[in-house]
Amino acid sequence: MLTLPLPVIQALQVATVVFASPGITGVISQVEARMQGRRGPRILQPYYDLAKLFRKESLAPLHSGPFFLLAPVLAFACYLTVPMLIPVLTTYALPLGNMGDILGGGIILAFASFMVATAAAETGDPYAQLGASRAKTFGAITEPVVLLVVFTVALVTSTDLPYVLAATVTSGPDQLVRPAHLLASAALFMVILYETGRIPIETHTGTIELGMIEEARPFEHSGPYYALLKWGSSAKQLIFYTLFLNVFAAPWGLASTRELGDVLFAIVALIAKAIVVGIVVSVIDNTFAKLRLFRITEFVSAAFLLAVLAIFTLYLGGG
Amino acid sequence: MSAVLICVFFLPFAMTLLSLVLPRRVTEMATIVVGVVTFVLAVTLMPSVTHGVVTAPFLRVDALSEIFLLATAFLYPVTAIYTIGYFARERSVIARDGADAIPQFRRYSRLFYVGFNAFAWSMICAPIVNGLALLWIAIEITTVVSALLVAIDRTEGATEAAWKYVLIASCGLGIGLLATIILYYAGSTVLGESYDLGLASMLRSAGELPAVPVQLAFGLAVIGYGTKVGLFPVHTWLPDAHSEAPTPISALLSGALLATSFYAILRYYQIAVGALGPAFPQNTLLIFGVLSLLLAALYLFAQRNIKRMLAYSSVEHMGILAIGVSFGAPIAFAGVLLHVLAHAAAKGTAFMGAGTMVHKFGTKEMSGMRGAIRALPFSGPIFLVAIFTLGALPPFGMFRSEFQIVSGGVASGHGVVGAVLLVLLSTAFLGLMIATTRVLFEPGTGAMLPASEPSYWMVVPTLIGVVALLVLGVHPPDTLVDLLTRGAAELTGASS
Amino acid sequence: MIEILTVARPAPTVFDGTANTVAVVVLLLEFGMLRASLFGAQVRLYAAQSVAVSVLAGVVAVGRGVPELFILAALSLLLKAVIVPLVMMGQLRDSRAEIAGSGSLGVASEVIISILVAAFGFFAVGALGIHSEVLPAAALSLSMAVVLVSFVLMILRRDVISQAIGFFSLENGVSMASLVIAAGLPLILEVAFLFDLLVAVVVFGVLIRVQSDRTKSFSTVALDRLRG
Repeated sequence: MLTLPLPVIQALQVATVVFASPGITGVISQVEARMQGRRGPRILQPYYDLAKLFRKESLAPLHSGPFFLLAPVLAFACYLTVPMLIPVLTTYALPLGNMGDILGGGIILAFASFMVATAAAETGDPYAQLGASRAKTFGAITEPVVLLVVFTVALVTSTDLPYVLAATVTSGPDQLVRPAHLLASAALFMVILYETGRIPIETHTGTIELGMIEEARPFEHSGPYYALLKWGSSAKQLIFYTLFLNVFAAPWGLASTRELGDVLFAIVALIAKAIVVGIVVSVIDNTFAKLRLFRITEFVSAAFLLAVLAIFTLYLGGG
Repeated sequence: MSAVLICVFFLPFAMTLLSLVLPRRVTEMATIVVGVVTFVLAVTLMPSVTHGVVTAPFLRVDALSEIFLLATAFLYPVTAIYTIGYFARERSVIARDGADAIPQFRRYSRLFYVGFNAFAWSMICAPIVNGLALLWIAIEITTVVSALLVAIDRTEGATEAAWKYVLIASCGLGIGLLATIILYYAGSTVLGESYDLGLASMLRSAGELPAVPVQLAFGLAVIGYGTKVGLFPVHTWLPDAHSEAPTPISALLSGALLATSFYAILRYYQIAVGALGPAFPQNTLLIFGVLSLLLAALYLFAQRNIKRMLAYSSVEHMGILAIGVSFGAPIAFAGVLLHVLAHAAAKGTAFMGAGTMVHKFGTKEMSGMRGAIRALPFSGPIFLVAIFTLGALPPFGMFRSEFQIVSGGVASGHGVVGAVLLVLLSTAFLGLMIATTRVLFEPGTGAMLPASEPSYWMVVPTLIGVVALLVLGVHPPDTLVDLLTRGAAELTGASS
Repeated sequence: MIEILTVARPAPTVFDGTANTVAVVVLLLEFGMLRASLFGAQVRLYAAQSVAVSVLAGVVAVGRGVPELFILAALSLLLKAVIVPLVMMGQLRDSRAEIAGSGSLGVASEVIISILVAAFGFFAVGALGIHSEVLPAAALSLSMAVVLVSFVLMILRRDVISQAIGFFSLENGVSMASLVIAAGLPLILEVAFLFDLLVAVVVFGVLIRVQSDRTKSFSTVALDRLRG
C-alpha cells in the first residue's frame, strides 16, 4: 500500500475542507428543500455558483479603501490555515499541526470574521454595516462560551491540543459519558449554530434583511471577491463541523497511519459525518422559529449555562 | 399491649372510612366515641411504656412517643365534641338561608368529618410509627389532609391560606425528606446498604454514625420539620392557616400538629446528640427557639384578628419547646414534655373559646368584640383562664412546665438564656393580656347581645381542657410523672 | 510521526459518568422550567424531567445491581411522567389561560440567580465531602442544585401552576438524591414516598381548582390579603 508523506497528508487536510465544503452546503440545502416539500437545487449547485462568480467582474463601492478587496482574500487564507491545526483526517499531528492549539485556531477564525466585518464597515451600506455590528456584538457574548468550552477541554486533558482531546474521547466509553464532555459538546454545538448563521439565530436563505447577521456582511462584494466570501463561509462551516465531530462528538474513522487507503477512508468518513451533522442542523432549522434579535442573548446564555455546568461537574467528582 | 397499640392505630382509620358512609348524626357521635376510646387506650399504654418499649409490626411506642400520642388523643375527642356545637351554629345559619343549603351542608359536613378523622389518624400515627421514613410519611399525610381542611370553607381567605400552607409545608417536608435520606446514607455506613430506618437500631448505633452527614441531616430536619412546627424564618404559613381554618381544625393544628412535628425534630435530636455530642444540636435549637420566641412576642402586640393572635402564641410556645430542649438538662426535658401536654390542652381551649366568641360576635376582628365576659357567661371566663394558662400563671399546667424549663436552664448553666426566656415570655404574656382584657372587659358591642352561650356543646370541651390543665398543674398523676421522667431520661440518655 | 501526549485527567467510571450525565439533564430541565413561559411547556418539561429521573433509577439499578429499582423506575415513570402531567394538563384544559405571567424578575436575572444558587448548592455539598466508593459524587451535588433551583422557581413565579410544578420538581430532586445515596432504601418505603406524592398531587390539584374557580386565573398576585 502506498504510504503518503506527511506534508501531502497535511495538504490533503486543507484540500478536503476547502473542496468538500461547498458540497456540504449543497447537501444541506437539498435536505432542507426536501423537508419543505421542494425539489431543491442540485447538490453541486454551490460549485456552479462559485464558478460563475469567479468569471464575473468585481466592483467596489466608491471611497472604499484597498482593505475592502483585501479582506476576502485574507479571510479565505485564514480558513485555509485552521484545518492544519485540527484533526481533519489523522489522529496524529501533522507538520505545522502543533503550531497552534484550540485557542490559536479560535483566534484565527475570529480574525477572519473580524476582517469580513471591517470590510463590510468600509462600504457605507446600511445592511452590511448592520450585519457587521451585530456579528461583533453577539460575537462578544459567544466568546466566553467558547473560552469555557476550551477550559473544559483543558481540564479534561491537561492540555488544549485538539489532537489530545480527540485521543482522550476515543480512549473509552467512560470518557464519552462524562457529563463535562457532553455538556461542552452541547455548548459547542450551540456556538456552531450561532457561528454558521442558522436558525434559531438567523435565516440563512438571506430573504429577511432585518434579521440578518452573517448573510448581510458581503452585500457589497461582487465577482471573485464575493465568491471567496461565500466559499469562505462554507469552509468555516465545515471547519466548525470538523472541530465538533473530530474533537468532541465522534472522533472515529480518522486515519491512524499514513496509508493511502486509510487517508481516503478518513476523507469519506469526514464527509459522511459532516452530512449527518448537516441533516441534524437542517432538522433544527425546520422545527424551530427564528429568535427575535434580542433573544439571541438568551440562546447564548443557555450555551453559557451548559459550559459553566461542564466546569462545575469537572471540579466535583471529576465529572 | 401490642394489641392496644394496634387498636390505637386502626380505630381512627376505621372511623375515617366509616365517616364516608355513616349518616351525619351517627358520625358525630361515633367520632366522639372513637376519640374517647383512643384516648383511653393511649392512657392504658402509659404504665407499660414507663418500663419499656411497646412494639407491633411497623409500630413502636416509647415514653417520648407516648407523650405526643397523649396530646393528640386528648384533643381528638375534645374537638369532636366542640364540632357538634360548631355545626349546630352553621345549621342555624343555613336554616335562615333556606332549604337549598341543606344538601350542600350535608356534603360539607361529610367532607369535614372524613378530613377531621383522617387528620387525627395521621397525627396519631406520626409518634407511634417505627422509623424515620414512616414518620415522614405520616407527617406528609397530616399536611395534605389539613390543607384540605383549611380550604374547606372556600372563602377567599381560606383559599389563600390553604395554598400558602400546602406549598410552604410541602417544601419544608421536601427538605425533611432530604434529611431522612441523608440520615439513611449516614446509617448505611454502619447498618449496611439496606435497612428500614427503624428507631431502635438508629438510636442504638447513633454513636457510630459519621458526623458530617448527621450534621447535615439534623440541620435540614430542623428547617424542614421546623416549617411545620412554625419555627422562626419558616413560620409564615402558620398564622394564615390557623386563622382561616374552621375552629376545631385550628385547635387541632395548633395543639396537636405543631407538637407532632416537633416530635420529629426530637427524634433527629436524639440521633444527632448521639453522633455529634450535644453542642451542635442544642445550639441550633437554641437559635431557632430564641428567634421564634422573639418574633412571636413582638407580633403578639400587633394582632387584630383573635385567631391570628393565638397562632402567634403557638409560635411562641414552640420557641419555648426548642429552647427547653437546647438546655439539655433532665428537668428541662421533663418540663418540655409536660409543656407539650399543657400546650395541647391550653391552646385547644383557647382556640375553642375564641371560636365561640367569633360565632357570638360574627367577626374575627378583635375590634368588633367587646364585653365578651358578660355576653358569654361561661366561654368568656374560660377563655380568660386559657389565656392565663398560656401566660404560665399558677396553678395551671404551663406554670409547672415553664418553671421546670427555666430552672433546668439555670441549673445547667444557661442562666442568661433563662433570663432572656423569662423576659420574652413576660412580653408575650403582656401582648396577649392587653388584647384579651379589651375583648373581655371593655364595654361595647357585647352589651347589645343577649348573655347566652351559642351552644353548650362548645362549652363542655373547653371545661374539659381547663380541668386537664388544673390536673397537670396542681397534682399530675403519678403514672404521668413517671412517664415524663422516663421520657426525659430517653432524651438525656442520648446526650450522655 | 509525532507522538500524542496522553496525560488525561482520570475519568470517572462509566456508571458514574452516566449517572452524572442523567443528573445534569435533570438540572438542565429544571432550568428549562424556570425559563418556560407557557404552562403547557412547563408541564412537558416536568414530564421530561421525571423521565430522566426514572432513567437514572434504571441506571442505578444496573450499576449497583439493585433490581428492585427497576420496579421503582417503572412506578415513578407511571406516576410522575404520566399521571401528574395528565392531572396538570387537565387543570390547564379547564382553564383557558396559557401564558404564565412572567416571574417577578426578568428571565436573564432569574437564570443568573439560579446559576449562583445552583453553584452554591453544588459546592456546598461538595465541600461536605460525603464520599464513598459507590457514590457518583457530582450527582448528589446536582440534586441539591435541582432542589435549590426549584425553590427559585417557586419563589419567583407568581402563578399556582408554576409553583406546583416547582414543588413536584423539588420532589424529583430529592428522589434523585435518594437514588444516589440511598439506593438500598427498602422498596416499600420508596413506594410509600411515591404514594405520598400522589396524594399531594391530588391535593394540589384540588386547591388549584378551588383557586382558579375563585379568581378565574392561575395568578397568585391576588393572594396577598393575609399578612401581619
